[in-house]
Order: sequence, then structure tokens, then C-alpha cells
Amino acid sequence: MPSNFETIIESIISDAPSGEIQDVVKDLKTIAGNQAEEAITEAVVHYNIKNLIPIEVNRELVIISEYNKKGSKFFDPVRSIAFSVDHLNRTGMDVESYDQEYTAQQKSLYEDLERYASKNFTGDVAYAVYPRDEPDDVVIFISSTRYSPGNFWNGHWRSSYTYNLKSQILKGTIDIDVHYFEDGNVNFKFSKDVEDNAASSAVVSIKTLENEVEAEMSNSFSNLNEKEFKLLRRRLPVTRSKINWGKGIGTYRLGKDSAETQLN
Amino acid sequence: MSSYEAALDLLRRLDPTKVEQNLNQLIKLDPDLAEDLLASVDTPLKVKKDPSASQKEFLCCDYNRDIDSHRSPWSNKYVPALSAEDLEESPFPSDAIRTMEVLANDSFDIYRDLYYEGGVSSVYLWDLSDGTSADEAPNDFAGVVLLKKGENSRSSWDAIHVFEVLQEGGTQGQVSYRITTTIILHLNSEKKMTLAGNLTRQTERSFVPPGHPSLEQAGIWHVSNLGSVIEEVESQMRNQLEVVYFEKTKDIYRELRDSSQETTTQNRSAHEEVVKGLQGM
Repeated sequence: MPSNFETIIESIISDAPSGEIQDVVKDLKTIAGNQAEEAITEAVVHYNIKNLIPIEVNRELVIISEYNKKGSKFFDPVRSIAFSVDHLNRTGMDVESYDQEYTAQQKSLYEDLERYASKNFTGDVAYAVYPRDEPDDVVIFISSTRYSPGNFWNGHWRSSYTYNLKSQILKGTIDIDVHYFEDGNVNFKFSKDVEDNAASSAVVSIKTLENEVEAEMSNSFSNLNEKEFKLLRRRLPVTRSKINWGKGIGTYRLGKDSAETQLN
Repeated sequence: MSSYEAALDLLRRLDPTKVEQNLNQLIKLDPDLAEDLLASVDTPLKVKKDPSASQKEFLCCDYNRDIDSHRSPWSNKYVPALSAEDLEESPFPSDAIRTMEVLANDSFDIYRDLYYEGGVSSVYLWDLSDGTSADEAPNDFAGVVLLKKGENSRSSWDAIHVFEVLQEGGTQGQVSYRITTTIILHLNSEKKMTLAGNLTRQTERSFVPPGHPSLEQAGIWHVSNLGSVIEEVESQMRNQLEVVYFEKTKDIYRELRDSSQETTTQNRSAHEEVVKGLQGM
């Protein structure tokens, strides 16, 4: 096997839309054979952690990340559990109790987040507040997905923040992916870094930042349609009527040339 | 599922802006896929300049390629030039087909100017039936019409129309045109937003040829038919692309996040409070 075999597998998996990972894995196994199994499994683990994929544990969604990983298991401070993950099926296994509890501040942050996320997101929404090594630092995650492979589309919203409870500095990234693949392959990607250096309430700031991003995105859509798209191909020719094909088509050129000559 | 089918399925799912990179990686995983994938997967078209035609630009695809050179529709020469030995094996259209190819390139160059106001176009034709002599109208042939706008800019449009023109036989002697169109449309905003991908559709149209046309008339007839069908298909696909890229994507986004929902809920509960208040009066 070439030495970059694992690199290729990793790169292809990392490029997959989150709602289609099982299809991508199946295709890759067909192409690369059983020898790829180990590299694929490993790449899917990386994918789930990096993309903050929600895992179904006891019928609830728990986001996994490098911040709630302990050894080979993941923990959930809200439900005080730790669990292993079947990464391909995105389900939790071997659930056991785990005794790390939120501080009062973290708990109140989580409750704010719960209120915000449940009211503003229409997809399957998951959210999390996880402690970091530094006691005043936390990470805040929101994931909202809607998968509709039968209608050839899948969508994924992901926002992640680090917040310092003392300095009240909030920094984050918002990523949106939409994939539409009926009779083609159309991909929408939006990514933006956001920041609020005086976030006295982290969730109020998150709400403001995310509403701003939504408005900005809507403007960008109009801009792409009105400017970029229109400049590529006209709806009708300059003459405003369909082309008269055939022997006489050269007259368009003659007409244009004479018009240009007259202008010169 | 064969390895080839799996590769096509994968390329339909992975980021369309990285199609060339992904194609190369799949070929590294299974080198046997190379020929089929390179012939069937549409990638953004490359532009070359023809030194024998005042550096006029032309488009490159697998259909006008030989070794690492591409045949220019303007001079009928390969760029970069191939050795005399290689050239003996290189594909060229028959004289009758080449005559029609020249006419088609001239016509689509005008089409490009009228609809694209810039960009590059190229048409390549090849024979499907053997033994067509130079003074006889070709029976079956195939070809590709290529149009590109926006090379080296933030957004780009590549239209690839691959077609076959076949005598259907029967009493009326209809001629059918089967066209597979792929449009690759990449749109980028200066902010970190990308709308990119491709849509494909198939079209079939039949025409009844006029009786006993001369070679020249037959060529004009075919190019007119192709032109009007491709003009119609591109206009329809332009609408479809607009719907999918803008409306569909926004609809799917609304399935992820909708901040108006909270406002609606708040308004509703405020409204309920008012109603309750009124009822209590």
C-alpha cells in the first residue's frame, strides 16, 4: 500500500457531508477494499470529534468533542454519565455514571443556552457547555442538523465558542453546510469567526452574533444572485430575443461590427 | 456495486470545489478507475491558447485530448504540437465533419458573445459511422459544445453539452439529437461563503430533415438544430440553477435555524395574554 493511503482516506472522510458519512464509508470500502477498514474507522472517529457530532445516548443527543473526552470514553456533565461511542452509527454504549458536576456558573450558562437553542433552531438541536483545564474557561457548542437523504438534501449548523467567565471574552466560529444532490452536487458553505470582548451574558451575545451572521448571510445570497450569477450568463441575449440560427447567424457579428465601427 | 459506481457516488457527495483533487485521490486508491473516471466526470474546463490562430483561446476536455495535447477548433492543430510520429495516430474528424465543426464553432462563438458577453467557447465533433466520404453528408456523428465564463475570477460557469446525432430510420427518416448537459457553477462572495456545484440533465429532440440537402445545407441544418436546442436547454438550466442555488439552499437553511420562530412564539403568547385580558374584562 502507498504510504499516503491513510492520508487519502482521512482527506476523503473529512470532506463528507455530515449526513452522508455512512454512504461515503460504504463507497470507500468498495473502492479500497477491506484493508482500508482500520484507516476508515480511525478517520470517522476524528471526523466526529472535530465536527462536534451529536451522539444518541439514552435517546438524548450529546455532542462529542476533545473537551469531553476522557481516555476512550466521553462524558456528559449534565446527565452525569460517561459512555463509549459507536462512531459509524453515532450511538452511545457502555453508559456508566460519572461524577463531574457543573459549578453554579456553568449550570446557569447551560440553562441559558438550553432556552436559546430550543427556541431558535428548527433542526435536531444539541448543545453543550464543557469545562476546560483552566477553571474560568468553558466551551459552548450548538449543533443543529436536518438530514433528508430521500429528498436529496442534508444540512448542518455548527457553532462553537470559548468563553472566559472572568474576562467575559467570547470567541467562536459559525459553520453552515448545506448539500443538495438531486441530478447533481450542489454545496453551500458558510464559515465565520465571531467575537465579543464584553459578553456579560455569553448566551445573549451568542444570540446577537448568530442573528447578525444570519442577516449577513442573507445579504450575501442576494449579492451572489444579483451580481456574481447575473454576470456569468444573461437570461436573454443583448438583442432581447432568441437567436436566429442558420446561415444568417453571421449577421449578428456584422451588425455588431458595424455598430462598433460607427462608434469609433 | 462496482468500484466505478462507488467512485461516482462518492464524487456526488464530496465537496464539488475539490472534484479534481478527489478524482486524483480515488485514482491513487484504485488506478484501474483512471480511464473511466477521467472520461465521465466533468471538471471545470481548462483554457489554452492556439499559436496558429493569433493566440485565440480554446477549451480543453477529454474529447479533444491526445497524450497531453489538445486539438484547437480554430486551426485543427494540437497544442502543444505533437511529434510527427504521434500525430499519425492522433484523432481528427473527417473532412465533412470538420467542415461542420468549423461552422459550429463560428455559430457558437456568436452565441457565446450574445449570451455571455465574454468567455470562451469550443465545439468538437467526431464521426460515429465509418466510410463517410468527403462529398457526402455525414449520417451519425457526435460532439461536445463547451462554454466557459469567469476563468480566474471569483465565480465561474462551465457548460458541457455532450451529444449524439443519430438517424432514426423509419419512413420519415427522423434525426434524433441526444444531449447530456452538465453546468458547473461556482459562486463565491468576498466573505467566507461558497455556493458551488453542478447539475446535469438529459434532453432528446427529433427533427425531420429536408429532402436531399447539399452537404453545405445539411451542415447548416444540423448546427441550427443543435444551436436552438442548446440555447433552450441552457436557458432552462439557468432557471433551475437559480432555484436550486438560491431558493432551495435558503429553504434548507430554515430547517436548521430560524430566529423568527422565537419572535412568532413571543408574539403568540403576547397575543394570548391580550386575549386573556380581554376575556377577563
